[in-house]
Amino acid sequence: MTEIRFVTREIGSLAKPGWRVKSIAGRPVEKNDVEDAQKWGSQLGIENYDELVNDILVKATGFTDEEKARIQDFSALYGLRLLENAGLDVIYDGEQRRSEMYDHAVKHAHGFETRGTVRSWDNKYYTKAAVTEKPLVETVYDLHEFEFIRDHTDKVLKVPFTGAYTIVDWSYDEHYARNGGLLGATAERRSEARRRFGIDAARDVVRPNLVGLVEAGAEWVQIDEPAATTRPEEVPLVVETFNATREGIEARASMHICFSDYNCLFPHIENLDDCYELQLEFSNRDSRETGTKAEDRPGYAILDRFRESDWDGKIGLGVIDIHTDFIEPPQLVRDRILYAAGVLGPERIEVNTDCGLRTRTWEVSLEKMKNMVEGARLAEAALNGS
Amino acid sequence: MPKIKAYAPGIYARSEELVQATRDLDRGRTTEDAVEKQRDADVRSFLDAQRETGLDYLSDGLLSWQDIFRPFDEAAEGLKPGPLTRFLNTNTFFRAPAVEAERLRLAEPLGEPYFRISDLPRGGWMATLPSPHALAVAAASDVDPRAVAEGVIGPQIRWLAGNGCTMVVLQETELFGGEIDIYPLHDAIHALKSPLPLALQLPFGDAGNVLGELVELEVDAIGVDFYATDIAALPRPFPKTLLAGVMDARNSLLEEPEEIAEFGRRLAEELQGELHLVPNGDLQFVPEKIAREKVLRLGSAAKILKEER
Repeated sequence: MTEIRFVTREIGSLAKPGWRVKSIAGRPVEKNDVEDAQKWGSQLGIENYDELVNDILVKATGFTDEEKARIQDFSALYGLRLLENAGLDVIYDGEQRRSEMYDHAVKHAHGFETRGTVRSWDNKYYTKAAVTEKPLVETVYDLHEFEFIRDHTDKVLKVPFTGAYTIVDWSYDEHYARNGGLLGATAERRSEARRRFGIDAARDVVRPNLVGLVEAGAEWVQIDEPAATTRPEEVPLVVETFNATREGIEARASMHICFSDYNCLFPHIENLDDCYELQLEFSNRDSRETGTKAEDRPGYAILDRFRESDWDGKIGLGVIDIHTDFIEPPQLVRDRILYAAGVLGPERIEVNTDCGLRTRTWEVSLEKMKNMVEGARLAEAALNGS
Repeated sequence: MPKIKAYAPGIYARSEELVQATRDLDRGRTTEDAVEKQRDADVRSFLDAQRETGLDYLSDGLLSWQDIFRPFDEAAEGLKPGPLTRFLNTNTFFRAPAVEAERLRLAEPLGEPYFRISDLPRGGWMATLPSPHALAVAAASDVDPRAVAEGVIGPQIRWLAGNGCTMVVLQETELFGGEIDIYPLHDAIHALKSPLPLALQLPFGDAGNVLGELVELEVDAIGVDFYATDIAALPRPFPKTLLAGVMDARNSLLEEPEEIAEFGRRLAEELQGELHLVPNGDLQFVPEKIAREKVLRLGSAAKILKEER
């Protein structure tokens, strides 16, 4: 009998260090930022971090383009080493070079124009763009990011990409909806405009960058679709855009969805073409008490529907809540995995955080991920009888 | 042609200046006073735009509200702000009301700054409130919509009636998808015992499946998002006033007043009540410059139809 082993990884983003944010934004780097770079540089064993601390950040302000590029490299290296230090099997760089998942995708595409600032919640805002003509990406804009990471680790890499449907849903539409007479229109006419945008975004916005990275050696691409169930009637479009994105791509492809109603995914996910895995958030909705019975694991109740579905890909099991500083004990992680393994079979389970950890400090993120790895080992021990 | 009105319910967009001021406040770079001065300027600017374009009821834009539920979460006994939760249809977040006690009570109804009565013309302004049903369903724990109506929203409506408000638009965000049981909403609205005309608006979603039942509610008007609802789904003849969501508050594309007026003419043929032109939800979901232009165009569209009466 094959020994069970649960692959562990983060989803994508980590918080960006203050020295990285301030220096790139043109704000003065402060003493505590430099101390932070020193501390983590030492703790994570960052090669040549003295250069960052003593030669670059010491300037505090007025960084040249070359220095900013070095700061970005160091930030990527710090992110990479943090994830390695946590003991993860699959890593990337915590998206240290990217501004924000939506902005990062559309700012590299022709056909989008920034429209201004809208509120996300309270006094938190984001910049929103409109598609104004048929969009097109002409460069492999994440190539340097990928090559840098590839050259600095031997670990398996999983590259996150903002998915086409999320780009559609988070953009204003001044192109496909124009002259369409969508006011009071039938659902079919409205959905046709969204579909045309979605397919164009998949083929001409996400794919060009993705294809370039696969040609450069990326073996695993993760399509991030946090908006997947925003409009339940459009889940078939999420599937269609995933398929259009990965068509003919010779790499493992998976999809990440979070903070969504997963009931809306059925039965449509059965039409996904060669989707290795769905990486999903669960622990945000789960109890913090240990236990492996169904009543102990309310956040994972939806797994029954995945078992019943004809879609038989893997589940990337979210076992770490990214919205709180609560450090999940390894025993809690273990029980979440064991419960899921009991429902779906251990061969269908891999282990991750619910989503990117960018809202948590590195101290908290590291503790959470270490416990995630330890919990995975405990679950393996329980199942392998060792 | 029925009687035509136009107005802009819901939370209005913050100007780039107010956005920056609130960001600065969070980072300790400015003062509460400076933020409030900018907020005052935003309110005045929004009121000016509404007057300029001839809207029938003015709104203060709820510019102090962090989300549609928050002032009540903070003010009502038995409620408090709960976990950050996603409004799926706008990809934004709100604090889900957390219920701390069975009995909910709004001892002191919300006044200034939540309702800027000193800036609003007595008898010429409208207020937006959460539907008691929406607040109850969005809550992080179980609460009876009727208890929300009786203890929280009802007292607020009575306070509004005593302070020059003309009508209340109840935002109902929780009637989309799956099997919908209208009875709890019906019961809650009955429990409001509103002295003011009520409109129930369903922002940002297809109301087609429930419109037939909504017209039976004890409200004067129903609000429909016509960027998500097929006009064919409208019960005919429509027996109440229709708040027609004709300005798309989820899209930056600017509507042409003549196109809106043409759509208004089609609706007018089906109505027994009045036709009120409104955005299909909060204008806070587009940047303020775009929101302002939409408000101006809303007034222009209404003007075209009013001149045809």
